[in-house]
Amino acid sequence: MSRLDALHDERAGGPRRSRRSVISWIAAGAFAACAGVMTLFNLMFLRPRVTTGEASKFRIGRPENFSSGSVVEFPDAKVVVRRSGDRFSAVSLVCTHLGCTVRRTDVGFECPCHGSVYDAAGSVIGGPAPKALSWYRVSLTPSGELEVDKQSVVPAGTHLEVAS
Amino acid sequence: MTVERPAIPADPGDAVPGWKETLVGMPRRVWRSIVRSGPIPRTELEKAQAVADNFFFHIHSAKVRERTLRWKTTLGLGLLTMNVFLVLCVTGVLLMFYYVPSATEAYARMQDLHGAVFFGRFLRNVHRWAAEAMVVLAVAHMARVFLTGSHKRPREFNWVVGVVLLLLTLFMSFTGYLLPWDQLAYWAITVGTAIARYAPVAGDEIRYFLLGGGDVGGEALLRFYVLHVAVLPTVMFVLIGLHFWRVRKDGGLARPTSPDASRERTAVAPDEQPPFERFPTVAGKTYGLMAVVPLKTHNSDGDVEKQVPSWPSALGRELLLLVVTILLLSLAAIFWNAPLEGPADASHPPNPAKAPWYFLGLQEMVSYDAFWGGIGIPTVLVLLALLAPYLERRPGGEGVWFHPKRSAVNWLFLSLIGTLGVLTLIGTFFRGANWSFVTPW
Repeated sequence: MSRLDALHDERAGGPRRSRRSVISWIAAGAFAACAGVMTLFNLMFLRPRVTTGEASKFRIGRPENFSSGSVVEFPDAKVVVRRSGDRFSAVSLVCTHLGCTVRRTDVGFECPCHGSVYDAAGSVIGGPAPKALSWYRVSLTPSGELEVDKQSVVPAGTHLEVAS
Repeated sequence: MTVERPAIPADPGDAVPGWKETLVGMPRRVWRSIVRSGPIPRTELEKAQAVADNFFFHIHSAKVRERTLRWKTTLGLGLLTMNVFLVLCVTGVLLMFYYVPSATEAYARMQDLHGAVFFGRFLRNVHRWAAEAMVVLAVAHMARVFLTGSHKRPREFNWVVGVVLLLLTLFMSFTGYLLPWDQLAYWAITVGTAIARYAPVAGDEIRYFLLGGGDVGGEALLRFYVLHVAVLPTVMFVLIGLHFWRVRKDGGLARPTSPDASRERTAVAPDEQPPFERFPTVAGKTYGLMAVVPLKTHNSDGDVEKQVPSWPSALGRELLLLVVTILLLSLAAIFWNAPLEGPADASHPPNPAKAPWYFLGLQEMVSYDAFWGGIGIPTVLVLLALLAPYLERRPGGEGVWFHPKRSAVNWLFLSLIGTLGVLTLIGTFFRGANWSFVTPW
C-alpha cells in the first residue's frame, strides 16, 4: 500500500481495498472454487456408485429343502443358514475382527487368522474380535423361497418362523 | 591506375568446409554436440566440467567432501535404496508386458511368467526380492540418518520427505502384494484393509474407497494395479528428486560442526535462531573457483576439508554399488523363487492368514487389540517419526555416529525399532495355526 493510499484510508475513516486487489481476490476465489469442485468430482468419480460382484440378497431355496436341525453353509456369500424346528436363521461367516472367513467348530465358530472364537449364537467367547457375528434377515418370498438379505442386520436370535 | 590491394586472408568463420571434410568430421561433431567435454577428463577443470555439463551427472556438485565418500559416513544405504528402486522400475515395466490386472486372468498370467515366458520367473524373482530389500534398506537408511543426527537443522524437512518416502515404499509393497492374486495375496490384503475399518469416523468409507467395493475383488485388484504401476511410482519419483535436491540445498551430508559454530548454536531458543543461510555472507564459499582449485577449499564455518572431484570419485563408487546391487539381486533370484500359492479363494482362508512380513509386527499388535494395534500405535509412531527433528531440542551431534550428546534419543529410537523388529519376528516365526504361539524348531 502506497503512502497515498494510506492517506486515503485515513480520510475515508477506514482501510480501502484497491479495485485491483478486489478483482484479484475474486479471481483467486473463483479459481479455488473450480479446483475444489474438480477435486471433489474426481474423488466422487473414484467412489463407485454401482458395485459388481454378488448381490446382497440371495435366495437359498424352499424351506422344505432344509431338514430340521440342518446347518448349511453358503461359502460364496459367507453365510451359514440354520433350521431348528420351523425357525430359520442366517449368521455371517465374516470375522468381525479383520474380515477373515470363520470356520464352524463343535462349539460354534473359530477364526483362523487371529484366533477369535465365537459360540453357536455368534457371541465372542475368545480372541480379539470386538463384536459378535452378524445375523441377517431371512424372509419368505412370494414364490415360497427363502431369501437372505446381507444388508439387513438383525439382533442375534432373530428367526423366521415358517409354518410347515 | 589500379591499386594493387593486398590479398585479404579468408576469415575462417566464413569459410565453408568442403563436403569431404564435413563428412569425415561428422561423427566427432555429432559426439561433441551431445557430450561437450572430452572423453577422459584429466585436469581438475575438466573433471568439474564433466559433471556440470552432463544432465545425469549434475545431480552432484562438481566436488564432494572426501568424508562424504567414506563408507562409514553413510554405509551407502540411501544410494542402495535408490539402486534397488531403479531395478524395481525396470523389472516392473518388463513384467507389465505380460500381466493383466483382472481377477479371472491375473493368476494364470503369473503361471505363464513361471512356465511359458523366457526369463519370466527370474524377472519376477528379482522384482520380489528387490521389493523386500527396498523396505529393509529404507529402514536402515532411516536408522543411519537418525543415529548420525543427520536429520537435525537445517535438514528437518528432508527427513520428513524421507519418512513420507518410507510410507510410500510400504504402500507400494502392499499394493504389489495383491497383484499375483494367489491365496497369500488375497488374504494378506483382506486382513490389511480390514484394519482400515477401525479408523474412527471414516473407516468403512476409506476401505470402500480403496477397494472400490465392499470386498477384495476384481475392482480392488484393478485399483491396486493402477496405484502400483502409475500413481505411486510417479509420486515417488517426484519426492526422490526433491529428496536428492534438498541434500545439496541443505549443505550436503551432515558433518560435525566446528567448535565455533557449535558454540554459537548452544542455548538459543528456537525462535531466536537465525534462519539457515544457504549462501553465508561472511567467509562465504567461492563457488565458482571451487570447481577449479585443486584439493582444498575453505568452508563457510572456517575449517578446511579435503574435497575430491565428483567425477570419478563419487560417480565411480555409485556405479560400483549399482553393479553390486544388481549382482546380489540376481543371485537371490537364481537361488530363491518368489512364493506363489494356489489361486485366490474367498471361502477358504489359509491358517494362519498372514500379512506381508513387514506388516507382521502390525498384525501381531492387531491380534492383541485391533484399534490400538492397527491404527492407534502406528499413527503415533508415524507422527513421532515425522516430527522427530522438530522435537529434538538439544543441538549438536550432527554427522557423528552415536554422539554422546544424543544417547537418550538414540536409545529411544533403537528401542522403538527393536520392539517393532521383535514383534515382526514373533509374527513371522512364532505364530502358527489360529495365531497361537509356536516355536519354529
